[in-house]
Amino acid sequence: MNSTSLSGSKKVKNFGGASPHWFFLTPALVIVFAILIFPVIYSLYMSTFDWHLFYSAERKFIGLGNFFQLFKDREFLHSLWLQFGFVVIALPIETVIGFFVALLLNRDGKFYAVVRSLLLLPVFILPVISGLTWRLLLQPEYGMVSFFLEKLGFGIKAWLAEPDFAYGMVIVQDVWRMWPFMFMFIYAGLTGLPREIIEAAEIDGASFWTKVFKVILPQLRPTIATAFLLRLVDALRIFSEVYVMTGGGPGNATMLLSLYINKQAFEFFNIGYAASMGVVLLILALFLSFFIVRGNVKFEGERG
Amino acid sequence: MKTNQSVKRLRKKLIPFLILIVSLFVLMIELMPIMVVVTSGFKRDIDIWARGPFYFKPTLESYKQVLSNRDFLLSLKNSLVVGLISTAISIIVGSMASYGLTRYVFKFKEIIAYTFLGFRMIPQISLVIPLYVMFNYLKLRDTLTGIVLAHVSFNIPYVVWLLLPFFAAVPRDYEEAARVDGATENQVFWRIFFPLVSPGLVVASVFAFLMSWNEFLYALILTSVNARTAPVAVNGLLGQYAPKWGQLTAAGTIMLIPVFVITLTLQKYIIKGLISGGIKG
Amino acid sequence: MKRVFLVLWLVSIFAVVFAAPYNTTIKVLAWDDALTQALKSGIPDFEKATGIKVILELIPSGNLLQKIGVSVSVDKTDYDLVTVDEPFIPALAHLMLPFDRWSMGKIYKKPNLSVFAPNAFEAAQWGGVFVGMPINANVYIWITRKDLVNDPKYRNEFKSKYGYDLGVPKTFKELRDMAEFFHSKGIYGFAPFTKQTEGSTAEAIFMFESFGTSPLTVQGGKVIVSLDEKKAVEAINFYKELLKFSPPGALDMGHSERIAAFNQGKVFTMFQWPALVPQHEDPNNSLVAGKIIYSAPPVGPAKGAAIRGCWVLAMPNASKNKEAAAEFAYWWASYETGQNLIPKGFTPARSDLLLNPTYNKERPWFKAIFDSMKNAVARPRFTKYPEASQIIRNYWLAAISGKMSPEEAVRKMKDELNELVGK
Repeated sequence: MNSTSLSGSKKVKNFGGASPHWFFLTPALVIVFAILIFPVIYSLYMSTFDWHLFYSAERKFIGLGNFFQLFKDREFLHSLWLQFGFVVIALPIETVIGFFVALLLNRDGKFYAVVRSLLLLPVFILPVISGLTWRLLLQPEYGMVSFFLEKLGFGIKAWLAEPDFAYGMVIVQDVWRMWPFMFMFIYAGLTGLPREIIEAAEIDGASFWTKVFKVILPQLRPTIATAFLLRLVDALRIFSEVYVMTGGGPGNATMLLSLYINKQAFEFFNIGYAASMGVVLLILALFLSFFIVRGNVKFEGERG
Repeated sequence: MKTNQSVKRLRKKLIPFLILIVSLFVLMIELMPIMVVVTSGFKRDIDIWARGPFYFKPTLESYKQVLSNRDFLLSLKNSLVVGLISTAISIIVGSMASYGLTRYVFKFKEIIAYTFLGFRMIPQISLVIPLYVMFNYLKLRDTLTGIVLAHVSFNIPYVVWLLLPFFAAVPRDYEEAARVDGATENQVFWRIFFPLVSPGLVVASVFAFLMSWNEFLYALILTSVNARTAPVAVNGLLGQYAPKWGQLTAAGTIMLIPVFVITLTLQKYIIKGLISGGIKG
Repeated sequence: MKRVFLVLWLVSIFAVVFAAPYNTTIKVLAWDDALTQALKSGIPDFEKATGIKVILELIPSGNLLQKIGVSVSVDKTDYDLVTVDEPFIPALAHLMLPFDRWSMGKIYKKPNLSVFAPNAFEAAQWGGVFVGMPINANVYIWITRKDLVNDPKYRNEFKSKYGYDLGVPKTFKELRDMAEFFHSKGIYGFAPFTKQTEGSTAEAIFMFESFGTSPLTVQGGKVIVSLDEKKAVEAINFYKELLKFSPPGALDMGHSERIAAFNQGKVFTMFQWPALVPQHEDPNNSLVAGKIIYSAPPVGPAKGAAIRGCWVLAMPNASKNKEAAAEFAYWWASYETGQNLIPKGFTPARSDLLLNPTYNKERPWFKAIFDSMKNAVARPRFTKYPEASQIIRNYWLAAISGKMSPEEAVRKMKDELNELVGK
């Protein structure tokens, strides 16, 4: 439209000479840097030492030694693989369910408002309690899930003692808990769309799917990408719910990355080694998010 | 032709009904484990395990114990204070930054955005020991200020990134029209954008509060008796060996209430945002 | 009259303030359970008597070491006393003041080693030095259902089938027979511990020791792998036999699952940690309250063993309040404190309290603790215990669940332990 020509006006300076974007960015940058710059540098520093928490005085500088050791550490690579699988399986499922339920519940009326709120309860529950509850649900004799599995003819079994099943259930637990997060996010994005786009997508004959894929999805792409990214950040460090649910077992079938970091840091007290894993996790996370985000998240407002 | 019409009419009636059924079904599955948590808080420990999920003979014993636990009540108060303050700071500062990133063109923009993201991605487990060292030095350990700062440090980047698509979705015409009317940059942000992105702000506030409310590791290491937050107190109920199920689930249910209330009160702002957002359609 | 009281009141306040030789604050870090909660309720008495203000921080036991590691170092400490689970004494010993250098105590007397239950004091020992003092007597005890043992129908049937009297299992053979017998009656004979946690390591070592072999031993300051393959395989096979008489889901049982099964009256016999006994004896939460016999664990083919897990009270070298901290420790260990706090859920480490008949009437497990303590076995004591524990339980669980043959599991367990010790 006609607005493009005016876009030069954003250089307007009314902050005593400072560019306006710095006015908006500075508070956040200052606060975050003030709190985190020392810990970040210190954590990098720790990763270059052979450092036992109880023997801080006897730490040894080993340069990149921890990182070399990491890639020979079979348990670490296994954890990395499990973590990868977890993200690749759980997140897409959460996104798909969240998207369709958002479409489903994007309706007026008190009833749907209540349903939307109630659906968020799993997201709100303390992760530790969620993990313990799932452990209870899967308990062979009394658990509700086991009860239904038995009715379906699977027999009584210590479900969490089966490696594959335990891994699967860790994912189910996460999907159960976190798809409403995707839902809420996408729903908020949906409400920001112009009215007629949503109305066009009212379930109406065969054209419904076309409208979903051709009209709604492209509009929501930045929102979904951001939601996915935020989930990714948290999914990469999922910890307490798994810790109480399986403790990483059986064997190390559910030893996700942060459980392994925790084991090295706070069970074996190799904090230098653990710090180096943190660095690897960070690089990995940035790499992944760069992949997902670039091209999907717009850093600029639309032009008319 | 006629049959086609009646099929269409039938469908029009049937579809809302189907949607209702499906919604109820989704809700049921989703709330089943929550039901287990909530009802367990009213059961004796032995009944939680013994009679299976469908037995229910309520007792208030667990609630009595939890609510007479002074440490837990103090920790709830701390959590509430920390949650509200850190959310407020994160939302104000974070939304400004998010706006700055989406509405202006300048150098290093992406680098700044990714720096925020990177800060959010570092595992807490690697940060907590240095944070402890630093807070000890600054005398911030076991203070509410300290724990607020710790929570703000991961919530600001979160809010910044969460709001990016919401700010980006607002068409350029809006601010430019406002500028033509003589509004300052500051006014453009607070009067025009803040209401426009309210659905995003609601989501951001809810999750920022939630992150702080449920945060465990920082609270464990950085606080001791004065500024301890609720998740640490609740974890105490896990016991040395076996959890006290009744008290644990009662405490968990109590902890659900504030978050739920906050969501309910904020939900109407999503609708408000919808209306103001509707203008642009 | 009123004035007289006021004066008396003021005088008594002054008396307390000035008589108290200390005017300081100490910080104590401990795990969170019934024992320490009871302790907390007694602190006002201690504060009144000494003028020492106590900040007692109780945190989830699983996070205790984390917190100690972060806040105690050679030259700095946030706490004047910390509680340490005994397997971690070796790793922390160098940060703590040896017990013989603790002050003598002005108000409460420094206890003599001999007051503690036999072997309990060993929990605090590392490299010939006592690093602190034990403050509870925590050791495997055995719990058996009294009502089942005394049931005449079961007694007759058992005797005619096995040729001896039904009772508390005293040997592994009796344990096996009785477990089998009750399993055939629809009651689980035995409840194992099979969760992927420290509890499984304890079970493994308990079985190994009962069959006469230890995974690791310290000889002249050096740690060596000493697991006897043949005996270890026997131990595994015996445990697998017991699993046949165990509840469904026997391969995923932790404390919660075991307590639930036992409290519902579904289990005949099993081991238990004393700290959990109150849960079995709580009539509100247990159908078997008052129906339990407590004893030392049954004796294995080689010897009687009972895994010990005492908490040790240790004083960081860097503490600036050592004298006041010692007073608190001695108060904690005193006979009088035990007397006052036992009714509130406190478990003592002193022999005179454990054997006191008054307490044993209401708490029959105190005597069992004392008896078990005589057979107490420590888990391997060396600085890399956490890694060793991990290795032992991984292969133990793989073997008893049938994922690996006992022979292969034992061989791999030894290989990995050797690798760890060699590092």
